[in-house]
Amino acid sequence: MKASDIVDALKANGVTHVVGLPDNGSRALFELLWADSNIDVIGVTREGEAFAVASGMYLGGYKPVVIIQNTGFLETGDAFRGTAYNMGLPLVMLMGYRGIKTMQSGTARVDTAATFFEPTLKAWDIPYSVLDDDNQTRGQIDEAFALANERSLPAAVLLATETE
Amino acid sequence: MLNKYDCLKKLAARRSDGDVVVTTMSVAMPWAELSNTALDYASVDSAMGHAADFAYGIALAQPERRVICLNGDGSTLMCLGSLVTFTQSTAPNYTLVITENGTYEVTGNQPVPGAGTVDFGGMARAAGLKTVYTIDDPADFEAKLDLHFESEGPAVFVWRLERGEEPVPRPERPICERSHALRAALVG
Repeated sequence: MKASDIVDALKANGVTHVVGLPDNGSRALFELLWADSNIDVIGVTREGEAFAVASGMYLGGYKPVVIIQNTGFLETGDAFRGTAYNMGLPLVMLMGYRGIKTMQSGTARVDTAATFFEPTLKAWDIPYSVLDDDNQTRGQIDEAFALANERSLPAAVLLATETE
Repeated sequence: MLNKYDCLKKLAARRSDGDVVVTTMSVAMPWAELSNTALDYASVDSAMGHAADFAYGIALAQPERRVICLNGDGSTLMCLGSLVTFTQSTAPNYTLVITENGTYEVTGNQPVPGAGTVDFGGMARAAGLKTVYTIDDPADFEAKLDLHFESEGPAVFVWRLERGEEPVPRPERPICERSHALRAALVG
């Protein structure tokens, strides 16, 4: 997945900051963001912090997105619930889909980071789309912002492959 | 030891109109009795442990305002990594107060882990924060009151407090409504 397409889509949607924590899949994306003077990156020590920091930034007038891996998302439970969700904020999240390939039939070991992911998103009332085609990057990210604004609640785009 | 209510009264009297004050747990309702404007935000019905990083986000987005978070010691322990996060992006307008009473006051004063032995000021310094004060004497509090508003942040003040008996805080309005009111006050 082209990291530059994701950055372009974030800029087109007026994003000012990325709050998050990199993983293997988002490594190229973070490297591009760190080098970009138009979007600032706020690194956190644990993913739950990302939702609290981003929520404060949004209320203060910035337009942040959260970028984390699904493993970190599973850690965020109460932070997500108690900040962005309960506050009713149109926060967009980009989340790495670790283990998605292990859910294919015949795989020796299934990664529970993947199998727990979408059921958790549904349980937590987070609309999402799975991004696995460069041609859809702009459209799916635009749609996530539109949905978040329409509901005044968070929405997510799941990154199915590594950024490059 | 400090008396929580005396400290809050002095802080409220010194606070400027444009300052944002984020409170939580045993400080939320006593503060609301002193000041209850759109810029006073009770981080209640939210996520315990995340008032300080939430307030840090406000401080980053509102660099012209002083943002003060009145956090608890139990709440601080829930998200210690935030002390390191605060060193990563400059927020000279951010003041974190850790109200150290050694207990989870609103649930009946059960002791927090490490009560009486944890050095919150030492942990903040070890995290890389430069401006850190631990205060346990009323005269010292008076002497350092202005620093809460004037220190280059992120600044940490540890208030060593007498034990209190505050009940669970119950703000009048839901958190969603309070959050959008805060945004309206900050950005229109």
